[in-house]
Order: sequence, then C-alpha cells, then structure tokens
Amino acid sequence: MAHRYLFEQMVRRELRQKYKGSALGVLWYLINPLVLMGAYYLMFGVLFKVAGSDQPQHYPLFLLVGLVVWIFFSQAVISAAPSLLDQGALVRKARFPRETIPASVVTVQLVTFLALLALLTPVTIAVRGTGPGLLALPLVLACLFAFVLGFALAVSVLHAYFRDVAPILSAALLPWFFLSPIFFDPTTADRFSAHSNLVFILEWVNPVAPFIVAVRDEIYGGALPSGEVLAYIFVAAALALGGGLALFRRMQGELAVVV
Amino acid sequence: MRKRAALDEGVRPGEIVLEHATRSFSVKADRGRTLKEMLIGRERAGGPAPVEALRDVSLRIEPGETVGIVGRNGAGKSSTLRVLSGIVPLNSGRVACGGQIVAQLELGAGFGRDFSGRENIFLNGALHGLTKEQIEARIDAIVAFSELGDFIDAPVSTYSSGMFLRLGFAIAAHLDADVLLIDEVLAVGDEAFQRKCEARIAEQIAAGATLVLVSHDAALIERTCERLIVLDGGEKVFDGPVGEGMPFYHRLMGTAEPVPSP
Repeated sequence: MAHRYLFEQMVRRELRQKYKGSALGVLWYLINPLVLMGAYYLMFGVLFKVAGSDQPQHYPLFLLVGLVVWIFFSQAVISAAPSLLDQGALVRKARFPRETIPASVVTVQLVTFLALLALLTPVTIAVRGTGPGLLALPLVLACLFAFVLGFALAVSVLHAYFRDVAPILSAALLPWFFLSPIFFDPTTADRFSAHSNLVFILEWVNPVAPFIVAVRDEIYGGALPSGEVLAYIFVAAALALGGGLALFRRMQGELAVVV
Repeated sequence: MRKRAALDEGVRPGEIVLEHATRSFSVKADRGRTLKEMLIGRERAGGPAPVEALRDVSLRIEPGETVGIVGRNGAGKSSTLRVLSGIVPLNSGRVACGGQIVAQLELGAGFGRDFSGRENIFLNGALHGLTKEQIEARIDAIVAFSELGDFIDAPVSTYSSGMFLRLGFAIAAHLDADVLLIDEVLAVGDEAFQRKCEARIAEQIAAGATLVLVSHDAALIERTCERLIVLDGGEKVFDGPVGEGMPFYHRLMGTAEPVPSP
C-alpha cells in the first residue's frame, strides 16, 4: 500500500485529537466501553435477567464478549459518519486518498477493541478453559475489521452528501443493538424454540450477528464457529468492503465541494 | 488511486493541459442535501443559478513555465487551481497535470493542532505522498527555513499566525515539486520572509519546476512570472507575455496603469 505512511500519520492524528488535554488521555478509549459493559451487565445480567432460566453459564463473560464486538462496530460507524466533514479543511485544500480519513477512525476503534479483547480473553481462558477455537480468532477478527471498514466507508461518504445519514444511523443502532445476539443466544434460548423463523431472522438477517456469534464461539466457547457462520462472515466481509470501497470511490469526486 | 493516475495521464512531469474545461458550482448556502429532499425530489428550486467558474477554458503550460493568473474576484482563478490540483473534478473537458503537484491553496490546511511543528512536518509530507525516510532527509532544511527554532517542538496551536504560515510554506517549499500551484499565500510573515519565499520559489523554478501563481499583487506577478492569463467570468480573455497582459488586465479592471517606479 503506497500510502501506508500517510495512513499511520492519520491514525496518530486521530488519536491525538480525541481526548486531547484530558488527564487520562487515550485511556478513555478503554474506560468508556468498560463502563458501558458494567452498566449493561448490571441491567440485563443482574436486574432483569433477560436470558431467564436458560441464562448461559458465566453470563457476565458471555455478555461482555458480545458487547465488545458490538461496541467496536457501533463506535466505528458512528465516529466514521461525520469524519469527512470534520476534516473538511483537509478535504477542500489538499489532494490525497480520502479513504484514509474514515479508515483511520475505524483503526483507532480497532485498537481499542483489540485492547479490550486482550483484557477479556485471559479471563475467559482462566474461568472456562481454552479450546482450539482461539487459533482461528485472527481470521475472524480480520473479517470483522473488513466488514466494519466497508460499512464505515459507505456511511462516511453518504453522510458527506446527505446530512441525515448519521442521525438515521444513530436512531437505528439502538434497536439494532437489542436485536443482536448479545444478551441471548438465539439457538439455545428455550423461549425461541417455538419460533424457528424468528431464530433464523435473528441469526442471519442481521449481518453483525454472525460476527458476534463467531467471536463468542471462539473466546467464550473455545470452539471453532460453524462452517455456515464462517462462510457467512467471509462473504459479508468481502461484500461490505468491496461495496463500501466502490461506493466511496464513485462518490468521492465532489467531496471537496460538498463538505 | 484511480483519480491520481488519471491526472498525469499523457503529460510529462511539469506539463499542464486543460482542454475545454468547464466547471460550475451551486451557490446554495446549505451545501449538503438531505435524504428527504432527495426522496421528495424537491431540490429547493429557485435561488441563484449555479456559477460557472470555468467556461470552456483550454490552455497548455510547458514544464518550467511561470504563469500568473489574474482576474477580478470570482473570475475562476481559485477554481482553476483546485481543478489543476485534482481536488475538484471538471463537469466536462480534460485536465492533466504531470509529476509531483504541490498545491499551496491554504498553508497549514492539514495541520494537526495538537501536533508539534515537527510532527506536522511528517503529517504534511505524508499527505503529499512522501515516505518517512524522504521526510527525514528534508526535515533539517525545513526546520531551518521556517526559522522556528525551538518552537518546532511546541504544538502548533501555540504558534502565532505568522509562525503557522512560515511552517506551512517551509514544508511546501521542500517537497520537490514539478508543479507549484500557489494561491495568494505569499503574503506570509514579514517582508524579509516574503523575499525568502520568493527566492525559494525562484530556486525551484531554476530546478525545472512549473509555477502557476494566483495573486492580486501585480508587482509580485511581474517579478515572478513570464506568462499571464487573465480570467473573466470563468473565461480566458488573455493569454500571453506578462508585459502585454498587465496593461490588458488594468484596462479590464478599469484601473489606471500604476505609476512606474523610478
């Protein structure tokens, strides 16, 4: 990649601009999701007991692994959406591959995500033992990154032209979050067994779901994801990245005029 | 990059070609559209018509030429530079600009405010496609040129506007440009620094760079350029030696010839 150094510099710039002058600096990237995870655990794991009697074993860990994946996805697309407008001065006055702007935003979120996984994985190994699944984790994470990057590219360029993309996205993310298999496992939860259509929808219509399932199978379950899930995330990653990049390149011409 | 490749297609480094270039801009106050407007299909009718910033402009600039562009406000000067630098695409026609293009449209546009001057040199160099090693090879010259001294390691948010511009120019001046596109940014710092900038530009021209300079400063253009292009209403109304062009320009503007200095 010819612009690797530019990309590296943009990531550094992005890291520096967020949380500048704050006492904890970059640590906020870790603290925010940790606080969020604590709150959700308290709410769904302890107070409401969402998963009921068939609550998975070691429910906090089950919950946390899914949450970390969701937080990566949602934070990455939410912060990528206005990124081209935020960097308007640069887009209007300099010529460089604009893809690096949303890509650096997503990469910063990826770093946070990996740090959270690095905290979480030893705990799950200690509590639940380990399995061969962990070996395939890099492959699954690479697919997840490609998927999120493709999605973020599309969202950022669309938002530059149509300013209501980001509000629509934030409105959609909340119900999307509750419909994602973060608090529950659709395949094993008793209450879903009578509704096979619903299970199918929860598992396969939501493109984020198989990524959550795959990461959780490996870290929490210690097992390889099923062939179906692996095939799905592979195709979803390729389609999202290919589509996102194509859309970005198609639409980026007028960026200096619209931002 | 597809766009990057297309921009220097079929031209030598330093050569610039515009063929029947046309570009218009809509002048709505609110630049973004919303999906609602798209879906309803109502494009806020009325309001001012799009401004034609470039109207069927053709020109060819050979490597090493020094070209000044003048015209009244809104004549299309800045649009021409933005088109040549590949930042804004044409509606129709062809643009080609060869080699390393260094566009100084706004000095320090890409600066990270919390980065030190030194870190911004690396960021800016990277924006122009340089590698870390290439920037390291130039950094001493850039720091020396900027005259920032110890401030080079302070965040640029602490700089005065003059320091900010000096650093911006110092970086742009050391990127080995084949084409220099400069928009009204030479009013940098004090007079001594301005002279230094002009001298640096002259060095780059002597090394074979092409210069396209937009300015309202007739004296500056007469000092640095041999060829003059006068734009009016998005059209090229004069293209020739600067000695003939300046009187034409002053007549166009309805201003008297400046009194020749003794």
